[in-house]
Amino acid sequence: MSPADVTVSAEQRSVRTEQTPLQRDPLERFGRLFLGLVLPLVLALLWETAVRHGLSNGRLVPPPSVIFQTFVDLARTGELQRHVLVTTGRVAAGFGIGVVAGTLAGAIAGYSALTRRLLDPTLQALRAIPSIAWVPLFVLWFGIFESSKITLIAVGVFFPVYLGVMGAILSVDRKLVEVGRVFRLSAIAMVWRILLPAVLPSYVIALRSGLGLGWMFVVAAELLGASEGLGYLLIDGQQLGKPAEIVAAIVAFAIIGKLSDWIIVIATAPLLRWEDAFAARN
Amino acid sequence: MLVLDHVGKTYSNRVRALHDVSLEVEPGEIAVIIGGSGCGKSTLLRLVCGLDQPTQGAVVLDGATITEPQEKIGIVFQEPRLLPWLSVADNVGFGLAHRRPAERNQRVATALDRVGLSDKARMWPRELSGGQAQRAAIARALITRPEVMLLDEPFSALDAFTRIDLQDHLLDLWADAKPTLVVVTHDVDEAIVLADRVIVMSPRPGRVFAEVETDLPRPRDRQSAAFDFAKRRVMAALDRSLDRAVTTDDRETRATAGAALWW
Repeated sequence: MSPADVTVSAEQRSVRTEQTPLQRDPLERFGRLFLGLVLPLVLALLWETAVRHGLSNGRLVPPPSVIFQTFVDLARTGELQRHVLVTTGRVAAGFGIGVVAGTLAGAIAGYSALTRRLLDPTLQALRAIPSIAWVPLFVLWFGIFESSKITLIAVGVFFPVYLGVMGAILSVDRKLVEVGRVFRLSAIAMVWRILLPAVLPSYVIALRSGLGLGWMFVVAAELLGASEGLGYLLIDGQQLGKPAEIVAAIVAFAIIGKLSDWIIVIATAPLLRWEDAFAARN
Repeated sequence: MLVLDHVGKTYSNRVRALHDVSLEVEPGEIAVIIGGSGCGKSTLLRLVCGLDQPTQGAVVLDGATITEPQEKIGIVFQEPRLLPWLSVADNVGFGLAHRRPAERNQRVATALDRVGLSDKARMWPRELSGGQAQRAAIARALITRPEVMLLDEPFSALDAFTRIDLQDHLLDLWADAKPTLVVVTHDVDEAIVLADRVIVMSPRPGRVFAEVETDLPRPRDRQSAAFDFAKRRVMAALDRSLDRAVTTDDRETRATAGAALWW
């Protein structure tokens, strides 16, 4: 099992749990949320106090106040925005390409058994390769600038989307497909009017898994050589011995990662209102 | 006219589902197919609507052999099979996608009104009751104005009251354009209410065992003696189709007891 697999399944698990909001009174909900915050907050506070009282110099593990200050400073100079923009641009480009390719390949392989037998073994073999292993080759092929990074991200996004679409199409209810056949839908209409809507819920999960991998791979790509981007900020922090900058970059990754995931959820929610699922009961 | 010409169907696992079925259904006729489980009733409908191909013989509609689904033939399945991502109105109008929106909307509105679902047009299928969903499915099949409408145990999953209601409703809809109806059922009452002709099938392999004409005047009174008589004839045929021979003197009691067991 490749690291990509582990991330995908973990991602899907978290997706499922997030989709089941518990209908309880607000106070109790807040209480639950707060309970989860207790441990990190207490740890942060303890560390802050320890550094303040000189129990540690906090040079390698900077206290929260220093991280926050670094974050604010980076934002004030516009440095942070620039890196975030570059990284987000790379992920967007790679994600876009990966999603289009993964969706097309997945839809074709799911729809036609012949194509599946032709295509799937090769793709499964390629999937077994840890995508980072492609980096040297991509650098040779596409140079050290944007193309190789975007290709790497696209490859990372491609596989979960391809697998998700194909698996979902294969598991579409035969009875609904027969409805399409009774109305004499062409192959394209069958995909567009029956198969795609039917796979949409799984497709959203595939997109979210793909996006998660996109963020993972942009870090890999930027760590391996970049002059801009959050990954560059990580390396820069390491080489210049600025741990606060590293943590600030990590925090920025967490924020935009969560934000982009949330955008997918919000954008697709209107398309999934029809779902009669366990999660939709509220 | 719908003609089944020595139709046989053997599945790839070598199960013989149908053997030498010949049948002619006149335009506008209501033919009800009844029989024990495993007698190929559903297979027969799938062949007629072109979802499956016969391995022997041919299904012919108005002189043309049916090898794939036709615009002239509509089908209602045992389950409503509404597409869950489309509103009730969009489900009903599914077969009219190639028409102009104005015409489509108008025909959908008429169809919904006809099945009493006008107020449900913008709802999701999951918000409908079983009976409402099946009415939407009937509207979806009828909206393309098929010449032949096939119904595969359409009301079997519904409660008794809803079933009776929908049987009357179906006849009412049928009276609009008088399409040919081929209904598969395992409910003898339903067969007598709907049918011009009841076709009794026998199992293993599925074949036509007997035909019972039920030319009672419409609307049919479920309590009348004629209704009861027709029912007994169908039940007796069903009993014989399952090799449960009945003698003349105790036909009545045996037929009733047997009818409870035939399926």
